[in-house]
Amino acid sequence: MIVIVCVDEKKGMMFHRRRQSQDRLLREDIIKQCRGKRLYMNQYSYEMFGENEDSIIIVSENFLEQAGKGDYCFVENQDISRYLENVQEIIIYHWNRRYPADMYFMIDLANGNWKLVKEEELKGSSHEKITREVYKKK
Amino acid sequence: MRCRKISCQCAVLFICCMFLTACTYVLPKDKVQIGQEITNLKDIPDYSGVPYTEINGNVPQFSEDELTENSFETYSNLDSLQRCGTACANIGTDLMPVEERGGIGQIKPSGWHTVKYDNVDGKYLYNRCHLIGYQLSGENANEKNLITGTRYMNVEGMLPFENLVADYVKETANHVLYRVTPVFEGNNLLAKGVHMEALSVEDQGEGISYNVFVYNVQPGVYIDYLTGESSLEKADIEQTQNRIEGEIRGNARSKIYHCPGQAAYDKMADSKYLVIFKSEQEAEDEGYRKAKR
Repeated sequence: MIVIVCVDEKKGMMFHRRRQSQDRLLREDIIKQCRGKRLYMNQYSYEMFGENEDSIIIVSENFLEQAGKGDYCFVENQDISRYLENVQEIIIYHWNRRYPADMYFMIDLANGNWKLVKEEELKGSSHEKITREVYKKK
Repeated sequence: MRCRKISCQCAVLFICCMFLTACTYVLPKDKVQIGQEITNLKDIPDYSGVPYTEINGNVPQFSEDELTENSFETYSNLDSLQRCGTACANIGTDLMPVEERGGIGQIKPSGWHTVKYDNVDGKYLYNRCHLIGYQLSGENANEKNLITGTRYMNVEGMLPFENLVADYVKETANHVLYRVTPVFEGNNLLAKGVHMEALSVEDQGEGISYNVFVYNVQPGVYIDYLTGESSLEKADIEQTQNRIEGEIRGNARSKIYHCPGQAAYDKMADSKYLVIFKSEQEAEDEGYRKAKR
């Protein structure tokens, strides 16, 4: 599976059971990255995506167990550590901002098991500069 | 923009008046007013390495009738010690600044000292901290909105919470009810910290909801909250002195010791006759004499 996450400057993801931030253009970019393939997410995330972009979205509360090779998984409020064996690629969006956090992205992408293959910047609808990095498992 | 803000304030005058009781209080000793409740200051745990602590399970203590979809901002008058009180705002896109922030150096909040330390990010211990951040309300050099806060409180403590609100409002065009209360103990001129509450209005807290106390501390610096005076903490003094003074390098063969800055000091680092002393006194006690140059 290909995991998609958003993090702040300290790799924070959530605070007080709420996402740190959101951005309409980032969501459009996520859909674009999936290139028509299935995009899994849970109900919490789906409520943010809304109905316009749902043609490729599959909503499930245990999608990390369901997703197969090549499927995209948008993860906001779950730790993917125990699913790591099945993860081929991680797309990580950096807000380039600092928010409070009590849930963090726990995967160490600098541990030698991952290779940064792509890095791009995009302007969000409410964020000046969002950085998209793509890591592939070595 | 200012006219627009004023008209918004007028439109919600009634709501502002409701707030005023909570905004103009003087805190009794050992007590902090939180929302409509009095909570004992002793309930706030001491700083323990994290810039903030959650209050009331991180749930803000606004009442339902405080929620409005109209933007407004209100600031307390300074008290007899020239200290700020609660600042309240309903942050909307119409309150947000459209121009770069101007200077605020002319404001000297209570407890203000211009003091620098090497172990502080940016050197300056104190910042003029906006209660309602400039990025939220565009309110700049207002003495009712600026307190003396450490660099740590400003950047590590308050800023992330402001960013959370600012980006949410920009993205959704919703409102966030926002209240910041500086907490002073007794007659202290420097706040112990700030109590920050925020709740997104249109989605009733689904997007933003927090209730935290942010500590006005600076790791490595001792602060006298009565006056705002400060000094390096003991461990940091020793560390700084060690860094400045450095080790004393003796030559076991010649029985000469070298201090940092002396001619042969650096060369001695690789000498097979190197003996290290913590002080000149220690070297002299061992029978060494100081190098002449």
